[in-house]
Amino acid sequence: MHIEPFENRNVSNSVYVPVDIKPYPKTGWESFKQVVARSLKGELFVGLWTVLREFIKMDWPAIEYPLEKMPMNARYRAVHKLLRLWESGYERCIGCGLCEKICIADCIRMDTRIDANSRKEVTEYSINFGRCIFCGYCAEVCPELAIVHGDRYENVSEQRAHFSLKNDMLTPMDVLKNRAQVEFEGFGALIPGSSNDVKKTPLAY
Amino acid sequence: MIEFFINGNPVKAQKGETILHVARREGYYIPTMCYLEKTAPIASCRLCVVDIKGVDGQILSCQTPPTAGIEVFTDSPNLRANRENIMRLYDVNHPLECGVCDKSGECELQNKSLEFGIASQSFSVREPSRSIQKWGLIQYDPSLCIVCERCTHVCNEVIGDDAIEILFGGYGSTVIPKNSDTLDCTFCGECIAVCPVGALISSEFKYRANAWELESIPSTCVHCSAGCALEYEVKTSNAGKSIYRVKNNFEYTTLCGAGRFGFDFATKNVHSQSALFDQAVEALQKSDAVRFGSMITNEEALLLQRLHEKTGKKLLNADAYAFKQFLANYAVTAPTALYEGTLAEVAQSDQIILVGSRIATDNPQVRYAMTMASKRNKAKISYMHSIEDALMQSIVTQFVKYEVGTEAGVMALLAKTFIDTSSDKALKAHIDSLDEGYLSAESNVGDDELAYIAKVKQRAKKTTLILGEDCYTHANANLIAQWAGLIARTTNIRVLMVPKEVNTLGVALICDVVDEQSAKAQSVFGYNAHGDYHIGVSAQDALAMPALNQQEGTITSIDKKVLTLNVALPHEGYELLDVLRSVSDERFAHTIELTPLLPQSSGYVAVAFDDLFNVIDAQGRDTRGYDLRNAPATQHALPALVEQLPEYNGTIIYHANPVLQFNALTAGIAALSTEAVLVGSAQFATAAKIGDGEKIVIETSQGRYERRFVLDESLKGTVALHPTFDLSSDALPQGYRFAKAKISKR
Repeated sequence: MHIEPFENRNVSNSVYVPVDIKPYPKTGWESFKQVVARSLKGELFVGLWTVLREFIKMDWPAIEYPLEKMPMNARYRAVHKLLRLWESGYERCIGCGLCEKICIADCIRMDTRIDANSRKEVTEYSINFGRCIFCGYCAEVCPELAIVHGDRYENVSEQRAHFSLKNDMLTPMDVLKNRAQVEFEGFGALIPGSSNDVKKTPLAY
Repeated sequence: MIEFFINGNPVKAQKGETILHVARREGYYIPTMCYLEKTAPIASCRLCVVDIKGVDGQILSCQTPPTAGIEVFTDSPNLRANRENIMRLYDVNHPLECGVCDKSGECELQNKSLEFGIASQSFSVREPSRSIQKWGLIQYDPSLCIVCERCTHVCNEVIGDDAIEILFGGYGSTVIPKNSDTLDCTFCGECIAVCPVGALISSEFKYRANAWELESIPSTCVHCSAGCALEYEVKTSNAGKSIYRVKNNFEYTTLCGAGRFGFDFATKNVHSQSALFDQAVEALQKSDAVRFGSMITNEEALLLQRLHEKTGKKLLNADAYAFKQFLANYAVTAPTALYEGTLAEVAQSDQIILVGSRIATDNPQVRYAMTMASKRNKAKISYMHSIEDALMQSIVTQFVKYEVGTEAGVMALLAKTFIDTSSDKALKAHIDSLDEGYLSAESNVGDDELAYIAKVKQRAKKTTLILGEDCYTHANANLIAQWAGLIARTTNIRVLMVPKEVNTLGVALICDVVDEQSAKAQSVFGYNAHGDYHIGVSAQDALAMPALNQQEGTITSIDKKVLTLNVALPHEGYELLDVLRSVSDERFAHTIELTPLLPQSSGYVAVAFDDLFNVIDAQGRDTRGYDLRNAPATQHALPALVEQLPEYNGTIIYHANPVLQFNALTAGIAALSTEAVLVGSAQFATAAKIGDGEKIVIETSQGRYERRFVLDESLKGTVALHPTFDLSSDALPQGYRFAKAKISKR
C-alpha cells in the first residue's frame, strides 16, 4: 500500500473527465424525436456489444469477492490493531487512556496495573464493535501510534455487540519477528517530514 | 462589613475575609495553585496576584484583607504576563509523562498550563538526579513536585503529624520526611489529596486507572463516628465492579488513612444462599434476643426496634447501651437532651479540654479539629487522660494525668473549677459538699493544673469539653454524665461526646437496647455480632449481609447529623429487611422507606432518603443530611455526689487500637494490615518483666489474648496499650477500657 498518490493534495492538476450531457428537449417535437431515437436506435445492443466484447477479451473489471479483495487505502478505518515496538517487542500502548476518553461511542475499555518493573502495564484492552463507529479518533489521539486502524473490514458476527480483546488486536510476536507488522500510515499517523516542524525546547544542557 | 470594588463592581466583605474569599463568593475568577481553604494562606505560587488602584506592585489576594473603597482588578495584560511566566516556571523540566501519570485528567498543572496557553518554554535549568521515594502507602516523585507546599501545610496545620517539610534548595527543593529517613506518620494520605500534581500519590492506586474512567459515588465514611464526607471511585472491569480509591473534597474536609485507604470491605462472592436464608429466618424466629453491632444504618436499627416492638425480642448492644445510659444521665442535669458540641465548634474553640479518650486513634477527625483550633486560634488544649499520647504532643498545651478509673472525680473537679456559684446558693452548697481533697488526691489532679484551666477559661471565647469513650464505659458513667451535664447547663462550655462506632449514637437514639445481664437471653440471634446463629459481613457469619458501602441508608454522626450512605458496590445476597419480611411481616420494599419513620421523639425529622443531599459545594457550604433536633431537657436535677473512686493497682492495660485501625472491619482490610501487638513503655516492660519482641499471654477478667510485646520509647507510664481491632465480636472486651491484667511469657 503506498500513500504517495494521496500526498499530492493539489487537486487542480488532476485530469477530470467531463460527462457528456446533451441539452434537455425543450419543445414537444424535440421530446418526440428523443423518444423515437432512443426506441429505434438500438442502444440496448450497444450495451450488449460492450459486455460481449469484454467477455471475449477476458478482462473483467469486477472483483471476485471473497476470493479477491480491494486493496484498502491507508486512511481506510477498519478493525483496530495494537502495534508493538519494532526493536524491543514491547507493547506500544502505555495505558494513558486517551483513546478511552476521546471515544465518542464509549466503546473502548482498558485495565491497567503496575507491573514488576514499576511500569504501567495494560492488562485488558477491548473494543466493542457493536458500538464503534470507526471514527478514528482513538488512532488520532494515541500518542504512541499503538492503537491504529487496520484494513480488515469484515464485521460479520453472531451477535450485535461483538468485540475484540487485546490478544485479537495485538501484533503476535512471531509476526513481529518476521518483520511482518505493518506500520500504520493512515489516519493520525505522522505526516511525512513532520519532524522538521518540531520546535526544540531551549535546553542549554 | 466594608464595601470595595472588584473590576469596577461594588462588593461587600465581612470581617476576616480576604480579597480572594470575596472574589470567589461573588464569582470573580482569580487563579490559584497553592491556595487551600482549610489552611492559612500558603502564598507560594503568587498566581493570585491582583492590581489595586493607587497601590504600587501586585498584591497577593489570598492573604490580603480588603480595606474600604479600594479598587481591585483581577485581570490585566501585565497580570496575565506574570501568571504565564509563573506557569512557565512551574513547567520547567516537568516530566512529559502525563500518559502514565495518575494525576492526568485532574492535574492542576495540566489545567492551568492549558488555561494560560503555555505552548512553549523559554526557561531552562539543569535537572538534578532525583528518584522516587516509596513511603509505604504514599509515594513521592520529586521530579513531578512543583513545591507548592500544600502538603506540608496540611500535615502541620490540619492533621498535626508535622511529618514532612520542604528541603529548600532553589530549583532542587523537595519534600522530605521531617527528622526521619522515611515517612513516619499516621498515613492519613491528606498530602496525596491536596497535591495538585502527581508528585504525592497512593502506592495502592498507582497505574490502576485513569481519573476519567472512575465513577464517583458520594457517601459517608463508616469507620468511626465522625461521618466524614467521601467519594468512592468505582470502575467496572472484567473482574466486576470494584472501588479503586477514595477521594474527599480536600478544600473543606479531611479524611484519615482508614477512610482513604480502607475502602475494600464489601461483602463479596455471595451466591445462592436461599437455604441459609431459610435457616436464618428460622433462627431469628426461635431466638428471644438480637445482638447487633453499631455498624448499622439508622434504618436497620429502626427495623430491629420494630422487631422488638412487634415480637418482644430483646435488643442487645453493649456499646450503644452504655452510650444511651450516658446520654440519659447527661439529660438529667444538662440544658438539652443531647450534647451540643460539634466538630466545627471544636475547630473554632480557643480552649479545649479532653477527658477520657486516646483521641488521635479513637477518632482522628476530633484530633484534626483540635489541631486546627490549636494552629488557627492558638487554642489551649488540656489533654486529660491516664496515658500521654506522643501524636498529640505538638498541639497539647497541658497534659493532665489522672489516675486510672477516676474520671468521675476529674469531672466533678472540672465542674467545681468552672461553675460560678455566686448566684445560686443551692448549687454552691451542693458543689461545696464534694470532698475536693479526696477527689484531688485519688485522681492525682492538682490545684495548679485546675487553676491553669480556670485561668485559660477566663480569657477563652469558646471552650469545648470533649468526653471520650472512657467516660461512658466507666462504672461511674452516670456521675460523669451528670457532672458534664451540669457544666453544660451552668457555663457556656460546649460538650462534645465521642461515640465509639459509626452509628453508636443512632442506635442509642433509635433502639431500646438492654444490657446483657438483665436480658437473660436463652437464644441470641447475632447481626454483625456473635450469637447462637449470626449473620453479617464477616466471613464467619452464616448468611452474608451487605457492608455499609453496599447499601443505602443513613447514619447519625458525632455532629448529630443524619448523613447518607450510598451504594458503591452491588450486593447479590439478602439484606436484613429480607429476613424481617419473613419474621416480623415488614411490608417495605426498600430499607430506605424507613428514613422518614425514624423516631421524631429522638430528634429525627420526617424526610425521605431521596430528599437528603450529600454535598459540600465549591464555597464550602455543607448541605449534607440534616441536623438532629436537640430538644430542651425536661429535668434540671443536681448531679449525684462523687463519693468513692475506684482504684486500679498492679499491671494495667488500656484497650486502644493503633492508627488506621478501629474494629474487625478495618482489621480485614489488606491495605491497612498491621500486627496487633501490646505496646508498652520501658517502665511497663520492667514492671511486667518482659522484653521487646517477646511473645506473651495477657489475661484479664474478660479474656485471654496471645500477643507480642513491643517496646515504645515514646510511651511513658505504667499502662500498656492493648489493641482490640483484630478480635471478633465474642472475644471483644466490653466496658471500661482500662483492665487489670496478668502478663506471662509464652
